[in-house]
Parts: sequence; C-alpha cells; structure tokens
Amino acid sequence: MANFWSRRDFLFQSGGGMSGLALAYLLNQEGLLGAAPEGGACDAKAVGYNPYAPRKPHFAPRATSVISLFMSGGVSHLDTFDPKPALQKYAGQPLSGKGEVVVRQGNPGPLMPSPFQFRKHGQCGMDVSEIFPLISQHVDEMAFLRSVYGKSNDHVQATYELNTGKIQMGLPSVGSWVTYGLGSENQSLPAFVVIYDHRGGPLGGPSNWSAGYMPAAYQATIFRSAGDPIIDLKPPAEVSPEQQRDRLDLLAKLNQMDLKNYPGSSELAARISSYELAYRMQGCAPEAVDVNSESEATRKLYGMDDKTTEPFARQCLMARRLVERGVRFVQLYHGGLGQQNRDTWDAHDDVKENHTRHAAEVDRPISALLTDLKARGLLDTTLVVWHGEFGRMPISQKGVGRDHNPGTMTMWMAGAKIKGGQIIGASDEFGYKAEQQPIAVHDLHATMLHLLGVDHTKLTYLFNGRNMRLTDVYGELIPQIVA
Amino acid sequence: MPVGAPGSFASRTSLKRRAKLLFVWAFAASASIGAAQQTVSFTTDIRPVFESSCWKCHGGAIQLSKLDLRTRDAALKGGDKGAAIIPGKAEESRLYRLVAGIEKPAMPLDGKLTAGQISIIKDWINQGAPWDAISETTGSRPPASAQLAALEEMRISPEARSYWAFQKPVRSPMPVVSRDLTNPIDRFLEKARTDKGLKPAPRADRITLLRRAYMDLIGLPPTPAETADYLADRSPQAWEHLIDKLLASPHYGERWGRHWLDVARYADSNGFEHDYDRPDAWRYRDYVIRAFNKDIPYNTFLAEQIAGDELDRVTDDSMIATGFLRSYAKVGYREKDNPQFRYEYLDDMIGTLGRGVLGLTVNCARCHNHKFDPIAQKDYYQMQASLFGYVETDYPLASKEQAEAYAQKTAEIDGKIAPLRQKIRQIEEPYRSRLAQEKYKKYPANVQRAIAIPEEKRTPGEALLAGQVIRTTSVSSDEIDRAMSPEELAQKKGLNEQIRTLQSERPKPLPTAAIVTDGDYRFTPDGAGDEPAPGKGVKQEITEGSFLFKGPGRYQPPPSYFLIRGDPESRGSLMKPGFVSVITYGNPPVEDPPANGRTSGRRRALAEWLGSQENPLTARVAVNRIWSHHFGQGIVATLDNFGKMGEKPTHPELLDWLAVEFMSRGWSIKQMHRLMMTSEAYQMSSQYQDAGDAERDPDNQYLWRYRIQRLDAEIVRDAMMAASGALDLTMGGPPVFPHIPGEILRSMSEGIWRREEDGPRVWRRSVYVYRKRGLPFPMFEVFDLPDQNTSCGRRNVSTVPTQALTLLNDEFVLRQSKLFADRVKEAAAGDSAKVVDLAYRIALSRPPREDEAKLAAEFLQKRSLADFTHVLLNLNEFLYVR
Repeated sequence: MANFWSRRDFLFQSGGGMSGLALAYLLNQEGLLGAAPEGGACDAKAVGYNPYAPRKPHFAPRATSVISLFMSGGVSHLDTFDPKPALQKYAGQPLSGKGEVVVRQGNPGPLMPSPFQFRKHGQCGMDVSEIFPLISQHVDEMAFLRSVYGKSNDHVQATYELNTGKIQMGLPSVGSWVTYGLGSENQSLPAFVVIYDHRGGPLGGPSNWSAGYMPAAYQATIFRSAGDPIIDLKPPAEVSPEQQRDRLDLLAKLNQMDLKNYPGSSELAARISSYELAYRMQGCAPEAVDVNSESEATRKLYGMDDKTTEPFARQCLMARRLVERGVRFVQLYHGGLGQQNRDTWDAHDDVKENHTRHAAEVDRPISALLTDLKARGLLDTTLVVWHGEFGRMPISQKGVGRDHNPGTMTMWMAGAKIKGGQIIGASDEFGYKAEQQPIAVHDLHATMLHLLGVDHTKLTYLFNGRNMRLTDVYGELIPQIVA
Repeated sequence: MPVGAPGSFASRTSLKRRAKLLFVWAFAASASIGAAQQTVSFTTDIRPVFESSCWKCHGGAIQLSKLDLRTRDAALKGGDKGAAIIPGKAEESRLYRLVAGIEKPAMPLDGKLTAGQISIIKDWINQGAPWDAISETTGSRPPASAQLAALEEMRISPEARSYWAFQKPVRSPMPVVSRDLTNPIDRFLEKARTDKGLKPAPRADRITLLRRAYMDLIGLPPTPAETADYLADRSPQAWEHLIDKLLASPHYGERWGRHWLDVARYADSNGFEHDYDRPDAWRYRDYVIRAFNKDIPYNTFLAEQIAGDELDRVTDDSMIATGFLRSYAKVGYREKDNPQFRYEYLDDMIGTLGRGVLGLTVNCARCHNHKFDPIAQKDYYQMQASLFGYVETDYPLASKEQAEAYAQKTAEIDGKIAPLRQKIRQIEEPYRSRLAQEKYKKYPANVQRAIAIPEEKRTPGEALLAGQVIRTTSVSSDEIDRAMSPEELAQKKGLNEQIRTLQSERPKPLPTAAIVTDGDYRFTPDGAGDEPAPGKGVKQEITEGSFLFKGPGRYQPPPSYFLIRGDPESRGSLMKPGFVSVITYGNPPVEDPPANGRTSGRRRALAEWLGSQENPLTARVAVNRIWSHHFGQGIVATLDNFGKMGEKPTHPELLDWLAVEFMSRGWSIKQMHRLMMTSEAYQMSSQYQDAGDAERDPDNQYLWRYRIQRLDAEIVRDAMMAASGALDLTMGGPPVFPHIPGEILRSMSEGIWRREEDGPRVWRRSVYVYRKRGLPFPMFEVFDLPDQNTSCGRRNVSTVPTQALTLLNDEFVLRQSKLFADRVKEAAAGDSAKVVDLAYRIALSRPPREDEAKLAAEFLQKRSLADFTHVLLNLNEFLYVR
C-alpha cells in the first residue's frame, strides 16, 4: 500500500521539471517503453506514459464504474420519494418549531402539500410519487437516502459541493478523483465523461467537472449527444481521412528522427504515443456512442422513439455504452441553461407543472438504464447515483412553487451490489431538515469511493504542502450501503 | 487550501441559532424580573447586549459618529448626533429610538435586537440608566477563558526558528572548484556535481540557445532575419548582447508578466454563478507587464500592489497595482447578506501573499495553528488585521479637477432628474395598484382568497401567502402605458423626454481603475445583485456618510478579531496588525500611516516588512521563481512552499547567494535574468547523454544537463501565430475574445464571451485573451492552464490525447497552418525546395536536414503545403524549448 500512488505522484508532482530519464527508468521497470501501441483496437490497454493507466484499488471493489444522474436545478424530495402527510394536515399554516426558516427568494410562505399522489411499490413497499411510474418498478433494487444535506442554498455552490465536496470553485470533482485513483480500463476512450442536457450545461459550468489543482488530464471530457461526441475529435469535412493519415505518418517519422537525438526523453516519446492514442480515439469514440447501432427494442426501451424522452434517453444509452466499454465515470445532467424555472428542476413557479414535465423526460430513460444494465450483467459492477443539488422547501412560493432547501434531500443509489429496497435516514415530519442519520456530502463521497475499492482517507494528492482528499478531513461511510 | 473554509452553512447557522436561543433564555429570565418592577442590572442585563451589539462600533476600537458607549459619562455626552441617553426618558433617548427602529438608521446596523432586549433597554433608561458596574474605561473585554488564551497564544521554540528558511540568507562563500568558472552560479553547481560524481553537459549549439533565449524571455520564436543576425554576430559578447536585446524588448513584460499573473490569480471576471465581467481588470494586467518591462525593483513592485494607495508617491500606476489584492474570485451576489464571504476574500489575499511572496502556507493557520510549520493562528489573524480595512472602489484616472468637475456635473443632473422621476411615479401609482389586482387573478384560489381577506383578519398562513404575492408582484412601465389615459400618457412621455435630454448631457464616464484602499466595508455601495433580501443585511440608503474616510482626523480600520476555528461568529480577542512571527526580525512597525491620514498604513507596513532585507523569505522565493522558469525546476522544487512540507533546496548555498545578490542589486529581476542566463549551466545542451550521470542522478536534480520544457499554453498559441505571420503584436488594452465553439459556450452560466469570428482582430498575444473564471479558454485548458481561482506558482505539465486532437483538428490551428503555407509560398515564389527550407527556418529557426528535406519533398508530391506546415506546428521540436 505504501507505494500505491508513488509512481504517478512522482510523474505529476515533479511537473515540468520531470526528467525524461527518470521516467524512462520507471517505464522500463514496468517493461513498457519500446512496446508499440496497439493499433486499431477500441479496447486498447495502457501503453507507455499514460495518466489513465489502470491502477489497483485499495481493496476489492464492489463496482468498477459510476453513472451519476444529476437532476440540475434541485429536484423536490417532497414530490418524488419522501412523502409527508403532515403537509396535508398543516397545509396553509406557517412552518414553525424547526428553527429559522431560510428561504432563497423573498419571504417564506405557508406549508404546502404535494400536488402528487404517492403509491407503494415493490416488495419493500416504497412510497413513490405518481410522476415516476416506471422508475418506481425498480424500488427493490434501489437504496434511498432520505437525509442528505448540503451547505448552500445557492445553485452553483450547492452543485459544486455535490461534485467536489466544497462549495468553492476550482476543486477536483469526484470523477477526477476516481480517474486519478483508478485510471481507466479503456485507453481508446476518455476515463471521465460528462454529457450535459441538450438545453445547455448546469449552473456553475465547467468547474463542475474540472480537475482543480490536479493535472488537466483528470478533468472530464465533454461528450456531445449529437454529432461528433468530442470537440475537435475529427478534422473538418474538407480534410480527408487519407490526408489526415498522411500528416500523422509524416509527423511520426519526423518526431521519431528527432527522438534519436533525445534517447532519454520519455516526455517526447509520450507525446508521440499520445498522437496514436488520439488517432484511435477518433475511431473509437464515435462508435462508443453510436446509439443507432442499438436494436430497435433497446431504443424503444429507452424511449428513443418519443420526442419527450429522446434527449435523455440518448444520454442514458450513451452512458451504458461507455460503461460497457470500460469508461470509469459517466455523469449525465438533466436540466440545463436556458430559462432556469422552465428548463431545470428549479420549481419556484409551479412545482406541479415543472416536475410533471421533467419527470416525464427522465422516467423511461432511467428505468430503461437500470433494466438494461441488469440484463447485460453490468448493474453489479456499476454504481448508479441519482440526485439534484438540494431538496426543496415544504412551504410554498405563492401557493404553487417551492424554494431551495439544502436542509435535506432524497437521493438514491442502485447497482454495485447495494442492498435494494431500503430507506436510509429520515427528514423531519415536514421534510425541512435531515433528522435521522443526517448524511453529509462528504459521507456520500466516502461511500462512493469505498464501493469502488478506494479508501477515501488514503486517496490523496499533494498540493500546497498538504495531502488533499476529496473528503477533506471528514467523511463517514454510510453503513447500510457498504454493508 | 483553506482548511475547513468557508465554514459550513449548516453548522454556522446552527451555531447562530444556538446563540440566539441562549439569548432568548437569558432574557426570559431577566424580563420576568423587570415585570416584577425590579431594577434592571447593567452588569447582567445591559452589558451583554452592549458587548455583543454596540461596542464593536462604539467601543474601544472605534467610535463611529464619535459615540463611545463604554461609560455612562460618555454615553450621556454622546457623539456627533448628541446625547445617546437621557436618564429617565427612554422615548427621548437616541439609543432607545435607534434600537427600537423609531428613528433611522436602525441600530445595530448588522442586525436587530430582540423585542426582549429592546424592552429591557427601555426599562433601564426609564429607571435612570444606572451604571452599576465597574466602569469600562479600558475597553478591554472580560478576561478570556484560559482555554481561549491557550488557543490564541503559541510559543515558537528556538529550534523551530532555526529551520533554514526562517534564517536570514547570508552570502555564502564561493566554493573552490577545479575548473575555471567565472559565473558564481556555475561554481556552486560544479561543486554539487563534483560531490555527486556528475559531469556537466557541453554547451548547446547556437541555434538551440538562440531559440531557448527567445522562448524563455519573450515567448516568441526568432524570425529568420533575427536568427541570421545572431549567427552573423561572431563577437564574444554575442550572447550577452542577445540577452540585453531581449530584455529590452517590450514583449519581455508580456512573457514574464504572465508568470506573475498566475501567482496573482488574475482574471477578467468574478467567478461563481454570475461570473460578472470586471471591465477594468485589464489595467492591472497591463500594469504588471509595464512593471516587468521597466524592471521596477521587486520590493517596490510588491509595495505598489499591496499598498499603492498609501505610498509617499501615489501614481495612477500604483493605484492600478492595488488591483492585485482584489483579484480573488468573488461571489458578487448578496454580499451584504453574507458577511462571511469577506472572510473568504481575506483568506484568499493571505493565501496569495503567503504562498506567492513568502512561500508559506499561512492560510493553513486559519482554523488552528499550522500543523507543520511554526505559524500561529494568531499570526493569521494579525495578518488579517493588517488587511482588514480594505475596501474595493473605482479610482478615476483623471486629474483632480476633471474628477471633481465630473462628480459635480453628474450630481447636478441627478438632482434635476429625481423630481421628474417622482412625478412619473405619482402619475403611475393608481394604475400600478389596479393592474396588480388584475395579476393576482392568475394565482390559485387559496392565494386569491388570502389576498382578498383584509390584512388584519388573515391567519398567519394566509398572511405569508398574501404577503409573498403582494410583495413580489410588479407592474412594468409598459403595462401601465397600455392602461393609461392618452393625456396622462402624453404627460409621462413629456417627462421622460426631459429625462432623456438631461441624460444626454451627462459627461462621458471617466476611465477608472478597479482599486483597493482603506475604508469601512460595512458601508460600501451595493454591487450588482447585492441588494439585500427584504429584512436582511444593511441597506445602503440608510447609512450615512461615506465608506471612504474623508477626515477630519485619522482613519481607524474597523475592528477585526481572532476567530475561533475560523468561524466569523466565534470571536476571540481584538487583533492588532502583525506578521508571521517566526520570520519577523527586529521590531518592524505594523502601522505606517501616510501623511494624509486617510488610510491606516497597515498594508504599507506589511509591504515594508515583506520587501525588507530583514525578511528571510521574500528574496529567496523570488529568485527561486526566476530560476524555476529558466531551468525548468526551482532550487526549491515547491515554489510556493518553503515550509516543512515543501521540498528541500537542492543547492541551499546557491539559493542564499542568489537571494543576497538579488537584494544587493536593488531587487532587479532583469539583472537576475542576465546573471542566470550567462551561466554555463543555462547554456548546457539538453541532448547530452551519460550513463553514469543518469544512474547517479536520474532526475537531473543537480543539473548535469539542461531540462527540456513544454511550451506554456499561451505560448503554444502565440508561437503558431508567429509562424503563420498572423500575430498582431499590439500591446495592452481591453482583452480579446478568440472564437470558442457554441457548444462550449452553452456549458457555462452567463454569457460574457463576446462572440467574435476567428480573425485578425483576435490574433493578439495570448496574455490579452479574456480570462473568464467560469470558462477557461479551451485551447489553454487542454495545455494545462492552471485553475484561475487560486494563486499558482508552478503549472502542471501533462501529455494527453486531447492535446493532440486540438493541434490536429482545431479550426484555428488549421487556419494558422494555411496562413503559414501562404506566407512561405509567397516568399519562396513557388520554388519547392526553398519553400521547405523557409518553412523550417520560420517554425524551427533552422534549415531542414537532408533526410528531412527528402521526406518533405516526397510528402509534397502528394499533399499540399498547408498539410506540411500543419505537421511542422505539431512537431515535438516546435512545442518544446530545449
């Protein structure tokens, strides 16, 4: 364990001053230098100097990849998975007895019941709102966390917290940590992929998936859901593939000739192989996300044939294909820039209208993703996490909407051999604050890393003289999840 | 990394709540005493209120409005506004009237007393305001608990102080070496190499050196003509002349200024959700470039950035320089509702000064004493006190007369417009309420019902519901226009016309710099989005006077405190300004007020301490940075951390010798370049191979050959445009917005990326590209642009396929390749051998070798010249300095 991170730390901590010789020495130790990169294959394994080389976890992992489903704007727990009869009983009365009522917009309104009906589902008898008729069929495979709380009622800061553990900008995201810790099983595709909503990215933008103080190699690569998945993946149409290949061939020859003058410099060798990797990615990335190659039945299952569900169905199907090909961490955003109250889950204006519409967009795709992962035997090795950036208020905004509430939210996890059908933690009778077993975001992150075989207290990155951690000095495993 | 910052929203509010609960409890007890007609006790009932809510502005540290509430005499005497207390007459006492909100501004400014507290003050004054306690003339707080005292004090052991970096550098004796070496740097290096049994590389060839010097000092490759000139100069001083020429180039500042801008975490936008534009930030960027070009002594450079407003000679440039302090990422929304934000900004300043100037992680001591270095938490809060007076403001870059004339004219116009606006509001009012009524109809029945019920009859829930809707329903001017009678509409239009005419007389805004000076942050004007939420924060309108000190007398900074665990709600002692004790020698002043008395002089004292020869770290850290950029690695590899967790110096004597030399040469950075670049070490070959050396020192820690370095992100782009001939070398001014694909623009929150076509207008040097915190320029990001939110001394260097994809497929790169091809085609007039030769000379400063020329000729049989130039821009040789 002592040497667990040492080689890579060495490569990056020494930054620009890295001597090629030292690197060559290390690579030779591993018998890597001089081996020609495999050509063509889309499941290429790591060769040569490579920040994505797969690395052994601290202990046997429960899952090897993650799909994060981020419901941007803040999905209401009270109208989805955390029913509160007290809201019916005390409807129209002020919220009292729970301390200061902190709202984001204007002044507090009175308590407001959910406009939706809840029904019991599965063997576990889990209450799910009527807006998720299909997701509710999977409750026996899902673990619900009803007491997750955050630190900010501001979208951006809350989204940063869910992604990086802190409300500030510029810290490495959980996907970066996972990639840094575990590398990738597939060297022809990026290790950490983000696919955001067709309406635009989430609030807070690229800082949500940045590598912060780590090398840029660990930030997410954005995959577009239409056209070439990666910006600059392919040359413009006027450059033919043969032309591109000729350029690459000449480049390789000239670089190889030059390398003879610098035999000890593996940085230069690494650059040469990075071009081969890029070339492979050009072929492999479009194939990896080619949802048209899926069977008609699968496409239908996800809802590719319905224009309401098609955009998120495409994202979910891409995610499954990527995970299937060994991509480590895929994060999907539902809800994106545009008009905040309309295009995200940010239901200030009308929670019924907003959540009905957004649930309809994700219900079938998410249900299909779970079905499909299971059918392919991938669910056991994939951790699926669903959440927004905060919950919403039990009190109304103007009789119809709900304001932000970081006091508690409900999220669920599935896959990774997690015991399904369980409810963990509880919010108070109004759903204003986490009450039983409050779960901080650091706890969530610690648990996610644990499921991937990583000890959150040991995954560190030296920065500014301190061994930084995703969970800072905090983080408790959620016992019911890791059991 | 601020440990545990910024506190947790949840825990902080709960702390606050707990404190409030305690108060309520305390008052429940005392109120019952009051009800029984018992005497109110100053000590038990009043003093706690004064202590927590009044004395911070009317106590020992400051007496706003000259009011001191520490003694009965002083309270009876009162301040600028007259007596605060008239014993026996609460209703006539200003103190009561202000805390009860009967008179404005309601006190305290940062919150409201509870009803219980207000009523007990009333009773106390009515009972004659007896001051039964021992009078509080010293202004000291009650004795701190032993625990607090223990927290606040940390003894630094003599051993801790003996750590090498905390000792002042002394000029090390010149080592004796067997070779004849004139440059002292080489003698230190040779000594270390000899000790390790290492042999140095020979001198690199002239072209390699020429390119090394150009890329290193100005970040641009030499043109073929410049290369020819240099090769033609066979004099022994050719190298020295070249260095002098490059140091005199204005592009030197663009290259080395950029290094400092990384440290200064400079950006053109705020960051966070709104990521507002900072329209004048570029003036600071240009200042930095100018400062490097002028070779302003490094300690003066620091002083201007930290205290440019407090210096004996204040210039426009020194004012602009203070932009350094405010280059932190800023939320820029509801700042007044969230006083804790300011502590984050202060932390960022302390962090930047600590790591960037001192090479110490001072900000690790925010919540507790530093875990590894002898830095006390108190040091942190003393440094915070040194900076605590800071406020952000705009500074007109104009003469005093111009500025006054501008202010006068603006005030005059505002004065004329105000009554016209008032008139319009009067006309609109009846329509406004009628139209609002209409709007209520779109709400659900329960909301309409609540609104219909008369205010006094609403249940608490109905009151909330109705209040929410009534307060937030707005009627626009256009909606009113549509409902107005033609006569009134005409009247309104007439008034608006008058306003427009007045507006057109407004003088053109003066250019301004975004600066920092001292003032009172509690009264600063609201920025965009800062309007406090109803019932929260401090409204600008109710504050009096200015947040900037206008005299008479001397400015006093607002008090700042030791914060337990870094929590702004958990105050310890009042803090005096001060520095990091373990590296403070002698007894330097902690305040050095300028003659005009407008600022405290605390920042000036801080700058003097930093830039003093007595400071053991400033010079070391500076020369180490310069060294690192020249040699690819610092003598201390961790440029920002000279503490225990940092790397040890590879050549401690050399580092100290350089630091002393730097100070004795007047902190001249250019002289350090000259000194380092004229060493043999700088001129060594990077190709050199030696099995013995490689085995003994595989990391090349002891510099037995030169280290190759990948070009920085900005220089990759600049070098491509230099090769294509498209680069516009215009210096300075507002930033440019090179093209970013729409898909990427959609990933960020709000658009302040001006959508410009890729073209000559934006083909400026990369230091002038807009720095948006929320959206790093993609091409730079891919080549390891550091995070733009924190100070960065040394960039990561990674090699990833996305870099290859960018250089292979990005439209900008392809376009530059094409322009490059056109350029050589035209110059070589179709002679294909000459074309290749010229392309090589432009891109790589050398002619092609025979085998390369042959490959090129074969390639050009089949492919275009633009295909070929594109390959050149992708070569390792193009992307590395070596």
